[in-house]
Amino acid sequence: MTNHDGADRLKNILMRRELYAVLVILALLAFLFLRSGIPIILTILIQVTVFAIITMSLNLEVGYTGIPQFGRVAAVIAGAFAVGAIPGRIMAMFMGLPYGAEYASDTVNFRLVPQINSLLGSSWLMSLGFLVMCIVVAGISGALIGWLISRPAIRLKEAYLGISLLAFGDFFMWVGHNWKLLVGGSTPVKVPDPFIVFGAGRFNVIVPVFFFIALVIFVYLNKLTRSPFGRNLRMLRDNDLSAAAAGLNIVKIRTQSLVIGACIAAIGGGLYVIYTGSVAAIGMTRLTFTFWPWAYMMLGGIGSNVGVFLGVFILTIFRTMIIIFRSQWFGFLLAIGIDPLWLEFTLLGLVIIIVILFMPHGLIPARIETMLPVNRVKKVLEQRQ
Amino acid sequence: MAPWLSSGLIYASGLALTAGSITLLYIVTRTFNFAVASMATIGFYVVYTGVTLYGGLPYRYYPLVFIIGAITGLICYYGLNRHLLNRKAAEITLMMSTLGYDLVLLSLIQMYADFLTYNYKLFPRRVTMSLFDFELFGDRAAAFILPLIAIGFLTILHIFLTKTKFGVAMRATIENPVLASASGINSDRVYLVSWIISGGMAALGGSFMAMAMTGTPVMGMYTIPLMFAGAILGGLGSIYGGILGGMVIGLTEYAGVYLLAQRFGPWVLGYRMGIPLFIMAATLLVFPRGLSGIPLAKIIKSLVGQKRGDSA
Amino acid sequence: MLTVSKLNSGYGKLKVLYDLSIDVPDKGLTVVVGPNGAGKTTLLCSIMNIANVFSGEIILEGTSIIGEQTHNLAQRGISYVPQMGNVFAELTVMDNLHMAGYMLSKSEANIKADQMTEIFPVLKNFIHRLAGTLSGGERRMLAIAMGLMKNPKLMLLDELSTDLAPIIAERVMMEVARMRNELGITILMVEQMAKRALEIGDTAYLLVSGEVKYFGKAEALLHEPELCSMYLGIKESASKDKDFELSVSDEGSEDN
Repeated sequence: MTNHDGADRLKNILMRRELYAVLVILALLAFLFLRSGIPIILTILIQVTVFAIITMSLNLEVGYTGIPQFGRVAAVIAGAFAVGAIPGRIMAMFMGLPYGAEYASDTVNFRLVPQINSLLGSSWLMSLGFLVMCIVVAGISGALIGWLISRPAIRLKEAYLGISLLAFGDFFMWVGHNWKLLVGGSTPVKVPDPFIVFGAGRFNVIVPVFFFIALVIFVYLNKLTRSPFGRNLRMLRDNDLSAAAAGLNIVKIRTQSLVIGACIAAIGGGLYVIYTGSVAAIGMTRLTFTFWPWAYMMLGGIGSNVGVFLGVFILTIFRTMIIIFRSQWFGFLLAIGIDPLWLEFTLLGLVIIIVILFMPHGLIPARIETMLPVNRVKKVLEQRQ
Repeated sequence: MAPWLSSGLIYASGLALTAGSITLLYIVTRTFNFAVASMATIGFYVVYTGVTLYGGLPYRYYPLVFIIGAITGLICYYGLNRHLLNRKAAEITLMMSTLGYDLVLLSLIQMYADFLTYNYKLFPRRVTMSLFDFELFGDRAAAFILPLIAIGFLTILHIFLTKTKFGVAMRATIENPVLASASGINSDRVYLVSWIISGGMAALGGSFMAMAMTGTPVMGMYTIPLMFAGAILGGLGSIYGGILGGMVIGLTEYAGVYLLAQRFGPWVLGYRMGIPLFIMAATLLVFPRGLSGIPLAKIIKSLVGQKRGDSA
Repeated sequence: MLTVSKLNSGYGKLKVLYDLSIDVPDKGLTVVVGPNGAGKTTLLCSIMNIANVFSGEIILEGTSIIGEQTHNLAQRGISYVPQMGNVFAELTVMDNLHMAGYMLSKSEANIKADQMTEIFPVLKNFIHRLAGTLSGGERRMLAIAMGLMKNPKLMLLDELSTDLAPIIAERVMMEVARMRNELGITILMVEQMAKRALEIGDTAYLLVSGEVKYFGKAEALLHEPELCSMYLGIKESASKDKDFELSVSDEGSEDN
């Protein structure tokens, strides 16, 4: 009987917090809409979906498997580069256009991509196919990177692992920035646009499509963590020694987690460059694609994907507000020559510090996970009595 | 001296100090200090502000650099690290908290750079500090002076840790914190001092490095993987190991890039970061405990110990 | 000198001691014996605030010391000699002694250190060697010397005889008795070598599974055959005429 009440009360408290967070988000969105109109909202929403996908992948590795993934940017880059380098070339090949090394050179690429775009623009089906191809290519390259990373990652522990992953991510960025053949090096390569079909209403379509993809990933990860594999992950995270004693193949499980995580992050990276339309390697920094996702995840609550969405939403809105209200709210900084945009970094640092000091479990503490839906658990308990 | 060697010595001396700073803090508090990145950059900007606004050689500002670095460390300890240590937080949490602090510092550095640009008509975002140096024996003076300062600092540190009561107490706390407390040593003070020394070392290291590389607000961020590599290569067992590790990483980067560029062409320059990382990985494969595990270090240590024993 | 009342403590969330109460009289040698895992070390760690105290009271000379930081307790005159890690292996013997006398002034420390080398002459030979290079017995001597450096009011000794050759262990026991007799130090001693400890002790507590099973005069415990055989591995009730060799082999058969 007391179990019942406890579970009910806990559920109520949790639901209340999530509700508040959602209300706050809606209020802020409404405020922004009134101030700046629809385009800003669309931008926020697209950013939210892309980074929710990336952060969910981080959550899998950090929250569920306990890996200090400070090299998240590597997988994102893998997806971004793959989408920049491959699908366009395939289309070019199909169209009889140059698809070799010269594809990535800026003079060629500049003229090529609009041609590809006009072909895409003529057919819904082809655009859809192209989008799917992008996602598949990104996913595969992500999985490969994840596998590659897992080789040394298995042997290293804690902070050593974190730093190695960080260095690896950095290295990847430099390769992309310097190796012209890949994605144009310092001159960004353009990405053919599967949404060109919709012309000016492009963003209006991107939002629901990206959200749909994010939702699919969310559902998939939920199922995954409720599966036996998910249970293994949690055993591993809580105590890898006893997990091994229980017969779990730690290496295999960690590898699987890293591969899946990287695959998802790469999809996020691929979607990102589809949205922006080009691949600028130098812009794929660890700040944007590792540290911010960590902050999103920590704010939302490590281990909770719902928390991820909330964290991404709230912080993306705050970041956007800093940009929009740069001169209105932070005029005092401008007066002495300081660009308020730097406050984004301050925000990032403070979020991390405040979460660690005062709410280490984030907004949504990871709830006690049950294998079956809570209702069924209740029914079983009732039956027992 | 060959240009790569003089630049390399300057750069490596700085990297050695930052790697030593990371190692010191890690062995005392189990904290991997990410904020070394910004502390190093702050060190550079202190010197830059000094020479551009008040003139003189960079070297005269080094005491101030150390003090400001020390204060930065002190703030991190009292504001952040102390609470987490009391809470017995995990290593990863300790590291993440320093990341947060580093990002806040970074934002302040960027704002400061803006401030300098606007109010003093300076260009602090791409600085070549070597212009402020003087010539010695036909080379940049820094190539001789900085390694000497680094060695001097190391010597002072060594004397502090072996000959002073508090220094020995620090070593005792590092080895056995429980026994140290039971002996009446206040571990809080030990941690505080280690943060102060670390912060100072990091800032000093950054001001050294700026004499060889381009000074930017993100130079610390840019080189932090190398600083960590130096500390890890050193084995995280002793400060001297860290300093040696940093030295090796710094020199192999400059020597490596030079040699590879000669052999394969200038395109190698873009990948310079990979060289020291590769060296670190290779060394760890052979010596998993880093340079600390090599008997050479023990030999040197025992020689020093012998001297100490005889004189007392 | 020291009173522990209804102490509940342990490590992390694990509770080891249950409502434990003991009393350590002034200038006496109080012995705590019991099987492994009984919580003897936890008791000492709780007093020094190294273990996690959940509830209860610890009173030293009339003042409560619950929650006091360990280094403050040292300054109040409590000297703790742990079972493991009781010397700084990477420091020289001289440095070890000086660290133990951290709270003393430099001249005081030098005087005390000299005294220690008088009391334990064997340390004179190793004064500049790293403590980690000493043998087990020598290290134990150093640990006791370090304990004495502080001029303690109260000494907490944790299983000093462990891993020592019987002859050395006997010497250690004699030394402890001497500290009580000649130096008037109050001692709370946890011991595995139960029989010998009870022979030299004044009061005794038998600790089993975190609770006190017996307390009273130390000698009297030796005459409780059931408790002795069940918990202390003492096969026959003690008598001081018993051959020393035999009592040692009894101890060897204790369960671990």
